[in-house]
This record gives sequence, C-alpha cells and structure tokens, in this order.
Amino acid sequence: MKNEGRGSLIEFQQQLVPTNLQLPDSILSKANQDIQRLADFPTTKSEDFRYTRLIRLNKLQLQTEKSFAPPLVNIAPTTEGIQIVFENGQLVSVVGQHEGVTVQSAQDVPQSQWLACEYKGFVQAMNAVNAQGGVSIEISKQVAVPTSITIIQRWSGKSQAVLLHHQIVLHAFASAHIEWIHEGRAEESFQNLLLDCFLAEGSQLKMDKLQTQEGNSFSFCTERIYQKKQSSFAINTLTFNAFFTRNDLEIFGQEEGTESKMYGVFMGEENNHIDNHTTMNHMAPHSTSNELYKGVLKGKASGVFYGKINVFKDAQKTNAFQSNRNLLLSDDASVNAKPALEIYADDVKCSHGSTTGQLDQQALFFLRARGISESKATDMLIKGFMAEIVGAVKSSHIQEALQTLLG
Amino acid sequence: MLKIKNLHASIDGKAILKGLNLEINPGEVHAIMGPNGAGKSTLASVLAGHESYEITEGEILFEGKDLTALPIEDRAREGLFLAFQYPVEIPGVSNVNFLKTALNEIREYAGLKPLSAKDFLQLVKEKSALVELDSSLATRSVNEGFSGGEKKRNEIFQMAMLNPKLAILDETDSGLDIDALRIVASGVNALKTKENATLVITHYQRLLDYIVPDFVHVLFDGRIVKTGGKDLALELEEKGYDWIKAEHA
Ligand SMILES: Nc1ncnc2c1ncn2[C@@H]1O[C@H](COP(=O)(O)OP(=O)(O)O)[C@@H](O)[C@H]1O
Ligand SMILES: [Mg+2]
Repeated sequence: MKNEGRGSLIEFQQQLVPTNLQLPDSILSKANQDIQRLADFPTTKSEDFRYTRLIRLNKLQLQTEKSFAPPLVNIAPTTEGIQIVFENGQLVSVVGQHEGVTVQSAQDVPQSQWLACEYKGFVQAMNAVNAQGGVSIEISKQVAVPTSITIIQRWSGKSQAVLLHHQIVLHAFASAHIEWIHEGRAEESFQNLLLDCFLAEGSQLKMDKLQTQEGNSFSFCTERIYQKKQSSFAINTLTFNAFFTRNDLEIFGQEEGTESKMYGVFMGEENNHIDNHTTMNHMAPHSTSNELYKGVLKGKASGVFYGKINVFKDAQKTNAFQSNRNLLLSDDASVNAKPALEIYADDVKCSHGSTTGQLDQQALFFLRARGISESKATDMLIKGFMAEIVGAVKSSHIQEALQTLLG
Repeated sequence: MLKIKNLHASIDGKAILKGLNLEINPGEVHAIMGPNGAGKSTLASVLAGHESYEITEGEILFEGKDLTALPIEDRAREGLFLAFQYPVEIPGVSNVNFLKTALNEIREYAGLKPLSAKDFLQLVKEKSALVELDSSLATRSVNEGFSGGEKKRNEIFQMAMLNPKLAILDETDSGLDIDALRIVASGVNALKTKENATLVITHYQRLLDYIVPDFVHVLFDGRIVKTGGKDLALELEEKGYDWIKAEHA
C-alpha cells in the first residue's frame, strides 16, 4: 500500500500546467520551494486545516483540456457596467467599458505590476506556480465607477483544473462595486481562485461574492485585500450548497483609518463542506472592522468558521467586531467555529461571539399556528436568519440569483 | 363550534389539564379566568396543537371534527386562532410577508384563489387601522423591537387579517395601559359576528368591561370548577381566588 499522503501535494501539483502569468521570479521560486518543502497536503493537525480534510484531493485525476456546459444560475448579459466571463478558466468575454477603468487579461500584466509580495500556504503557492490567466482591473484616481463590474466564473465538465489569479487596483479616491459570481457544476474538479485587491488612500470597494456549486468539485478561493489610509472595503460572501469550498479572506489594514466589513452567509446540505477562514490585520491606528458570518447547515453538511483578528502593536484605537451565528437543521449537521484574537495594542475595542443553535421552535409553532405549513415556515425562518446579510446585498444580479436559490 | 370533553393533557409527564369540559357556540364570548399556573395557557396551546403537550384522555371537537387529529397549521386553516400571551419576535421575517403567506395558505385550504397584491394591501391598511397599528410596524420584522402593547395589538391585527371562526386571546390585556386596552378590545369587538366566537383568557376583570363575556369560567388545577355570567368576574375581582382554592383544596 502506498504510504498515505506521502508527497501528495507534489504529486497533485504535477498534474497542473506551469503558470502563464509573469509573476516576479522571486515569488515564483519561493512558491516552488514552498511546495517542495511542504510536499504533502496539510493534515488536520495543522491549525489552518483542522476541520477540513484534504486527503480526498489525492483521488482527483485532473485533465487540462477545457470543456463547457450551460450555466447554473443564469445571469443576463449586462447592458450597463462591465462584465467579464470565464468558462473553465478561460476568459471568454469582456463586455462594456467605462472611462478610467482598464481591464486586461492577467497574462498581459507585466512582472512589475503584480503587487502582492507574500504567498502563504499551499493554496497561494500553487496559485502562483500554476495559475492559468485571470483578469486585471485598474481604476484610475478619483474615478467612481457608477455601475457594477461583474466577474463571472463558470466551470463544468469533469476533472477540470481551474486556477486563476485576478488583481484589482483602485487608485486614490476611486470607488467601485464588484460582483464576483462563481457558478460551478463540474464533477471531480479543482478550482484555485485568487483575487488580490489594492485599495489606495481614500478608495472604496464594495464586493458581492456569490458561490454556487453543483457536482463534487473542490474549490479553494482566496482574497487578499490591501488597504491604505482611509480606504474602505466591504464584502458579502454568499456560499450555497458547495460540495467542498474553502474560502480564505485576509485583509491588511496597512495604514490609518481603514474600514473593513466582512459579511458572509454559507448554506450547506447533504455532505457539503464549507470552510470560511478570515483574517483581519489591523496594522495601523484608528481602523475599524466589522465581521458577521452566518451558517445554515442541513443534512450531513459541515461548516467551519475561523475568524482571526490581529491587532498590531501600533494599531491603537482599533475597533474590531466579529460575530458568527450558525443554524443546524439536522442532528447530523455540524459546525466548528473558532475566533482567534491576537492583540498587541492596549487601547482597542474588540469583541467576538459565536453561537450555534437550532431553529427557533417557538417561532415555528407561531408561524404554523397562523396556517403556514411546516416546510414553508422553516424556509421563512431560514431566510429570516440570513436576511441581515442577504438583504445588505445591493447587486440586483445576485438578488435575482438568490431568489432562485432560496425560493 | 368547540366541544371539549374530559380533556387531560400533560407536559413532560406532568399532568396539567385534568378533566376539562367546555362548550362554545357561534356568536358567544367566553372568558376563562384563574390563578397563575392553573393551566390557562396550556389549554390555549393544546387547542392550537403545540406538540410538547400530550393529550392523555378526552376529546376536542371543532365544528364536529376531531381537532387532535389535525396538525397545527390545519387547525389554523379550519379557523382557529391563538393570540399568544408572549408573542415571539422573528428577526428577518416581515410581518406583512408572513401574513400574506398565512392568508393565502388559509384561502387555498378553503379552495379560494390567492388575494391579489392590491386587495391584500387594502386589507392590511384597513385592519391595521382597526387596532391603530402604525403602518410601519406592519412591514417590519415580526414583533422585532415592538413594545409590549404593540406586540399585543399586532396579535389582534393578525386576527383581523385572518378572520378566524374561533379566536383564543391569551392574556391579551396583560401589559396594556388603559388606552391600548380600549383599542385592543374595540378591535376584537369590531370583528365579532354571529358566526364566530371568542375565548378570552384573562387574569383581570378589567378587560371584561370592554369585551363583555356571555360566560365566565374559572379554571383551577386543570379543570373548570365554576361557570357563571359576567358577574362572576366581578366577584372574582373582589374576592380573589382564595375561596375557589379553599373550595377545591
Ligand atoms: N414545559 C413545562 N414543563 C413542566 N411544567 C410546565 C411546563 N410549562 C408549563 N408548566 C406548568 O404547567 C402549569 C400550567 O401553566 P400555564 O398553562 O402556563 O398556566 P396559566 O396560563 O394558567 O398561568 C404550571 O404549573 C406550569 O409550571
Ligand atoms: Mg398563561
């Protein structure tokens, strides 16, 4: 018998094609070294993957040939704004434009314009070494993009490997709204999506991210957000029925007065596994972060919420709030929640809390006593539970898709 | 309309109702009074179909049908309504949206078409005015951030919207000031017809000045131990429950 997991990461990575992006050489060589050094996928002994088993990835036999089937959630082609569509990792269309917004394929981004310096862990290292394209969006100084910029990722077929690296740059005092829509319906496939956002002084970025997934694919999705002085970032992460999804959201509040908002909803059924890891780095004074994640788990689904807040020594007057609430709808559903605070400044306001419970039986009784069937009443309560976050989503595209998903 | 015969009910193995008899006919207003812990809310919950209670003996007929055989929602669809003693708050579920669903499910059960959006809104307007419920409250999340009085008025608003055959009001007067009490009572009175009936559960005689009962029952230790006219309420107000307790100790 094969020695379990031995060299599993290297073996897995050998199925992938070398990147066609021009990342700085130092990053590439370090990422390569990291993979060689790690050699194996992290086990559940590692802090980052305590509740997420990666051993199953070993079974994937990936092909690099692209194929495509119709979309899962229909998003009508935009008549306003900018819409960028990827099918199984391939950039297939860019529609719309706006003055001060530059959209280019990631392959065309020169080495000097890849801004992230540090690639942590095997997911990011693999993305550095094997990403096949992506999109780069740059918004000029003081440009307020009035309509949404939509990035749609679709994948389908079988044994597909999709590795993409996107980069969004907002120059000083620019503002934009991004919709990032993932429509997965691939079998035995693998996705590794990395999105970097650079927010210059006073810029504002709002993002709505919708992940829907059919089929048994393994999806890794990383966002790295770098915030300069007085910039503001807000994201709603909506994850539905994912066989296996791991999200890593890390924010670097690098300068004074940043505002960061991380809202998320995740909903799993059957044997879905949804893992949300977030890290908020308060690196400078007078910054604020607000985080709220809500999970709904049915069947045998499992969820993870791991929320880390790092307050650096100089980051006085930081306000950091984190909250996680989960609803378990069956005896076999489970969630592991872990807040982790590391605070090195003394003048800060930090709070965190996590609760996991069942459907409010009194509320259910009340609704039924008004003539509403048990299943409709249950749906109502679930929607009500998520309303705080789902209601905050401005994107009409996503609201429509949610209507279909939530009934 | 409602016939309860020798009803015994328990929760977690503890007997609460111990042989309760009650008959309510269309057009009647009944009041049930009784000391704390007598089993008044238990009776209301059992009628509405709360699944924590076990009926160990007796029967409940609603318009000739065995009520105990029906799930909670079908009892409501048959025309039973319970105004809760402690209305529950449901964040994220809008008051009018849930009422629209409720109303249409009840209509569907009766073989009626769903109400048009326009007719529904007209109904909301009319019925919220009846209990002087601010129209902003009608659209907010169910009872979220409502004052005690607003919650109770919201219960009567729902009753008005759903137009039940039998309404059970569990301590709807508790926590209401005199103005709110008057509003709630006039709402209930306005909804009264020859075909429907009301069962008012209360602690205090006060409410019965406004909703005048045809019958007053005293519930004590899981049974109705005394029945009279509205004067019985005055007598209870004056003498308290001790003499009842003494009689049945
Ligand atoms: N979940 C429960 N388990 C055990 N006893 C209960 C439970 N709920 C209520 N009771 C008891 O049932 C009795 C009747 O309660 P209730 O019907 O609420 O009285 P009332 O409404 O007349 O004040 C009380 O003694 C109360 O303590
Ligand atoms: Mg009571």
